[in-house]
Amino acid sequence: MRNSHKSRIFTYWLLTALAFAAGGAMVAFYAPTESTMGNIQKIFYLHLPSAINTFVSFLIVFVASIGYLIGRKAWWDDLAAAAAKVGVLLCSVVLLTGTTWAKGAWGTWWTWSPRLTFSLLLWLLYVVYLLTRSSVDSRQRKAMISAVYGIVAFLDVPLVYLSARLLPDLHPASIALAPEMKVTLAVCFIPLTLLNVGLIIAGYARAGRAREQQRTEGDHAPRPMNLHRLGGAA
Amino acid sequence: MNAPAIPFSPPAILTADLPVEAVRLGLVIDDRAILRDIDLAIGRGEFVAVLGANGAGKSTLLKVIATLTKASRGELHLFGRTVTRESADLRARIGLVAHQSMLYRELTARENLRFFARLYGIARANDRVELLLDVIGLGNRGNDPIKSFSRGMVQRVAIARALLRDPELILADEPFDGLDAPSVATTQKLLEHLHQSGKTIVLVNHDISQSLELARRIIVLRSGSVLVDAAADKLNRASVLAEMGGM
Amino acid sequence: MQQVGLLVGKDLRIEARSRQTIGLVVVLGVLIVVVLGLGLGTQQGGGVAATAVLWTAYLFSGVLCFEKTMGVERADAALAGLMMAPVDRSVIFVAKLVSNLALMALVSTVVTAAGVLFFSFDLSAAPGQFIGIMSLGLVGFAAIGTLFSAVVSSTRLQGGLLALTVFPLSLPLVISSTQLLLRIFRDGESAGGQALAVIIAFDVIFLVASWVLFEWVLEP
Repeated sequence: MRNSHKSRIFTYWLLTALAFAAGGAMVAFYAPTESTMGNIQKIFYLHLPSAINTFVSFLIVFVASIGYLIGRKAWWDDLAAAAAKVGVLLCSVVLLTGTTWAKGAWGTWWTWSPRLTFSLLLWLLYVVYLLTRSSVDSRQRKAMISAVYGIVAFLDVPLVYLSARLLPDLHPASIALAPEMKVTLAVCFIPLTLLNVGLIIAGYARAGRAREQQRTEGDHAPRPMNLHRLGGAA
Repeated sequence: MNAPAIPFSPPAILTADLPVEAVRLGLVIDDRAILRDIDLAIGRGEFVAVLGANGAGKSTLLKVIATLTKASRGELHLFGRTVTRESADLRARIGLVAHQSMLYRELTARENLRFFARLYGIARANDRVELLLDVIGLGNRGNDPIKSFSRGMVQRVAIARALLRDPELILADEPFDGLDAPSVATTQKLLEHLHQSGKTIVLVNHDISQSLELARRIIVLRSGSVLVDAAADKLNRASVLAEMGGM
Repeated sequence: MQQVGLLVGKDLRIEARSRQTIGLVVVLGVLIVVVLGLGLGTQQGGGVAATAVLWTAYLFSGVLCFEKTMGVERADAALAGLMMAPVDRSVIFVAKLVSNLALMALVSTVVTAAGVLFFSFDLSAAPGQFIGIMSLGLVGFAAIGTLFSAVVSSTRLQGGLLALTVFPLSLPLVISSTQLLLRIFRDGESAGGQALAVIIAFDVIFLVASWVLFEWVLEP
């Protein structure tokens, strides 16, 4: 890798780290503590940006899947895979922050509330996407199955959302956002979006490089036998 | 392994409506090139055998010609028409015999043939089926399920199915695979008869001597490219083997 | 359209001849109901457990059913034979879907009967609505199942891959039908509302999506 490229990558991640630090500081010192729920509410600043970015990642999977089905170019598949991995990562964050919030605010780690159920189902949906990819060896079949699943899964998301909303919600949580909270929230979006985009691009680039390397690996055709080395009959 | 190179000598083309014409056909799967820049022209009434080592791309080439698989690059023209997604009527002029039967085991020979005949939209389907059952010599076994047939008998039904629409182009992918000697002889006789009645035949085969005897033109594929394309009587087994990369 | 009839007729004739698929699938469905019955014991909670038990049985036996009907086409590359015919690929989809629905109708009838028997489900309040709602659910499930059975069957590693992909996608159906039936049987409301809308939306969206995608996805 060229040095200018390396330094650009370094700068990017440095900025991301700084953004996290800034966001963290704001959450700790600037944002006011919510009256009814206390400090646990502050996990919201991590939860919501992660959730939005998860959705964006899965949207990218959807678009890339369509792109692959129509164009059949491998890089569409690389993009879909990278976006899915990051999406699942972020969705895990959403899920974990969700249950932590539940524990902190209402005392139980899990409840089949609409929001938590939706996070779980979304997470499962795309974990299965990743599992499906790893179950198929042929690159072409893998891309094909992933593309179909990527499209269908995304179409399923609004249905999952709506059906989760049918579940009884014992703890409706609507928070009125004070202006300082809104600012903090806006700031917290930055590091998570940077993380999202950065990881997707990194994953995409890595997949592309791996493919290039495989392609230029040379000719594996078997060579003629060297029977005379076997010795034996006089 | 320095045998003199065998020159390209495709037969003279008389009409533009060739049964098969491939221009720079290529197919890439999983970043591996299965077919590379295949240029091919097969004239009406020819009997061509495609030879090559395993993995040379022969079966794939046949599948592409049958329009079952789409090439990644290049053009394919069948009967003078370019093959696109909607080439259903071109398929009607092709009879495909693979080494898998493409039949339904649980159904009888008659049911299989009638099903495909109706699906193909053949007029007076039942009569045609009876005719073909008689042609392949299985008129008395028509009501037995395919799963009770020997491989040779299954192959005959598969051939009958391929002949349902009286196709001009016959594509056969290793049809002699797993057949006993009598069945091989029967199948050879059938192919010869079809050739004599004016049909164009493209045969993928692994038996070099057999192919040299049956076919009039030999094409040898190696790693997805055409290495040899010459009249059968100008070749012998050793030279073909050498071109295939044998020892 | 008569092509669909021809294809479905072929599928059902093969099924009637071998009775392989239907036997396995029905027995699996009943076995699942039995296992759940043994497991839940006296905790059965009557009708409330109904959709859980039934959906579990439908999901597993359904996936097996879809695998086998597509397996018939893969067995001797019969699918290639179909593709050589002047048949639109979407026609193949519709035919497979109809065949799957026919088989699932039979399976679900037997499984539901088993459920009513072993769990003493009380459907007398609204049997018609129960059948209607579960049928709508099965249609959506079959649409996705048919699509993915084609996609997955072209790979060698079939095993659990169909179940893996189809289950999470079908969860909205499970949730909606459960909530809807709860409302009908426990709360005495009538069918309708958002839950029903979700099921219908699911069916419409995935019937169309599967129909379109099948075209792009079918390989010999």
